[in-house]
Amino acid sequence: MTTSTAETPLPTGAPARQHRSWWRQLGVDSGYVLVGFPLAIAAFVLVVTLLAVGVGTLVIWVGLPLLTLTLLVARGLAAVERMRIPAVLRHDVPTPVYRRAAPEASLARRLVEPLRDPQCWLDVVHALVRMAVAIPAFVVVVTWWAVALGGLTSVAWDWSIPYGTDAQDVVLPEFLGLDDTRTSRVLTYTAVGLVSALLLPAVVRAAALLEAQLARALLTLRAGTQAELGRLSEGRDAAVAAEAVALRRLERDIHDGPQQRLVRLSMDLHRAQRMIDSDPDGARTTLAEAATMTRETLEELRALSRGIAPPVLADRGLAAALAAVAARSPVPVELAVELPTGQRLPPVVENSAYFLVSEALANVAKHTDATVARVTVVREDGRLRVEVEDDGPGGAVLAPGHGLAGLADRLFAVDGVLTVDSPRGGPTRLIGELPCP
Amino acid sequence: MSVTPGAAPRRVVLAEDSVLLREGLIRLLGEAGAEVVAAVADGPSLVRAVVEHRPDVAVVDVRMPPTHTDEGLRAAVEARRAVPTTAVLVLSQYVEVAYADELLADGAGGVGYLLKDRVAQVDQFLSALDDVVGGGTVLDPQVVAQLFARRRRDDPVRSLSPREREVLELIAEGHSNGAIARRLVVTPGAVEKHTQHIFAKLDLAPDEDQHRRVLATLAYLRS
Repeated sequence: MTTSTAETPLPTGAPARQHRSWWRQLGVDSGYVLVGFPLAIAAFVLVVTLLAVGVGTLVIWVGLPLLTLTLLVARGLAAVERMRIPAVLRHDVPTPVYRRAAPEASLARRLVEPLRDPQCWLDVVHALVRMAVAIPAFVVVVTWWAVALGGLTSVAWDWSIPYGTDAQDVVLPEFLGLDDTRTSRVLTYTAVGLVSALLLPAVVRAAALLEAQLARALLTLRAGTQAELGRLSEGRDAAVAAEAVALRRLERDIHDGPQQRLVRLSMDLHRAQRMIDSDPDGARTTLAEAATMTRETLEELRALSRGIAPPVLADRGLAAALAAVAARSPVPVELAVELPTGQRLPPVVENSAYFLVSEALANVAKHTDATVARVTVVREDGRLRVEVEDDGPGGAVLAPGHGLAGLADRLFAVDGVLTVDSPRGGPTRLIGELPCP
Repeated sequence: MSVTPGAAPRRVVLAEDSVLLREGLIRLLGEAGAEVVAAVADGPSLVRAVVEHRPDVAVVDVRMPPTHTDEGLRAAVEARRAVPTTAVLVLSQYVEVAYADELLADGAGGVGYLLKDRVAQVDQFLSALDDVVGGGTVLDPQVVAQLFARRRRDDPVRSLSPREREVLELIAEGHSNGAIARRLVVTPGAVEKHTQHIFAKLDLAPDEDQHRRVLATLAYLRS
């Protein structure tokens, strides 16, 4: 069975990871913040030092390679951070595409290339500012853990603290107006520990999220935009390609059809003019032929304009246009269009759906010996689903250069997807899905 | 002028992939007294037919299968290399100066390049056919118009009088002084005087040979 799909690539990463239990998330978040602290210190020290030396020695050119080294170090640290944050954010993050010098570029060119990459400088900024978040986060997380654990276990260690030897000592229960007894101390500390422990997952999560969001903003947002741009330009390229192919075919059709007929027509008319005195009968025959030729040319022009923008589609909408296509198809078509009557879809959706069906039916007539074709059009959840099925021999594939690839490009251009399901032996199903707000 | 009855009929090889036009051309040429010795539909068959029949002239469509680009033009150039005595008249739906350049590249006369529409003007088509068979050069007025269209600013062509410009265009299209005189309804002597002025203004060497004259004019217009 051959099933091929032209999917629109997801803009960024995979769907959200499944939910973790709170205690596993607590472990992940705590680990993230605890490890983040030494990493932040190391990043700050390394990058500040290298940056300072690099900038300072820029005038004697030594600084240039040093700056590049700084950027590469920052990039390495950023890569580590990008690996760490998905566990906290619970979703994947895109990896930016760094500028790369051409393979044959000179050494100097290669050295300069990272300096021209905005993402490299964002990495540096992250290395410098992450400490401002990592240190408070670290302090809060460590303190909270300590209070929670210490409070809950106070019953075990309270005896070891020498109370009462120093009059300056003020313990927490006294603030609360309780006596400074062992019981009140243990009770108070345990209560504090309990509250801290209850809040611990939320507090640690907040600290970890703060740190991870900073990293996400500086290290991955640009990549997300890049990916989106890449996807858009891919869609645009597909549109341009489909457009170019369609135009070339139109030019060929005009050249092979009406143009030739018109040349022949005027040729015949001039011949008739020359013959009119010497050979009136011949002239009459030629003129009759010319009249036929005129009618045929008109037929052909009509068919061509239908191929460009079928008037019925513009005037009466998709359902009527599809009915017309189905009526013209040499293979009998069962048509099921479930659209509210009188309601029009966006023109681009109507056009794409129309061409999908008319091309698919033309393919069915041309390449298969199907006895029946079924066309289904349904609108659901903001998408228009167009399905063309035939009982032909199957084996259709979505290969580049193949006619179906042109259709896939055409749908891709409007953010749609074409799926071809055509097992050997049939049946063949073409499913087009289009966004239809 | 048309094919004079009684003279040996022109032997023509026709290459045109559209059945419709091929049949139309066969009838037209037949009625004009020419003999179509072979009618083919693609480039390689054209070369074979020309080598086999050694016709007076090959009438060739530029665009033919399998590539539907400039097959016919390349086949025509090749056929001429094989049989230099055969004149070539190339027909095209669109005229491109670049195609004309390729056709004129071998420097010999007996070539023509016409828009397909001209075929319908039967007399013009037949006279073009006669011209190329006679060793002349025929260029479609549209090609010439394209050459005139991209003129520089300080262009000596601008210094020509309107009549002189008209004459220059006709020279570029491949007409002899006699033909130009008939067209403009003036005496051959007047045309002669105009051409001398033109050639002097453009700094061209005057030439009596019609084909060389066309080439010089084209070379000048293209420079």
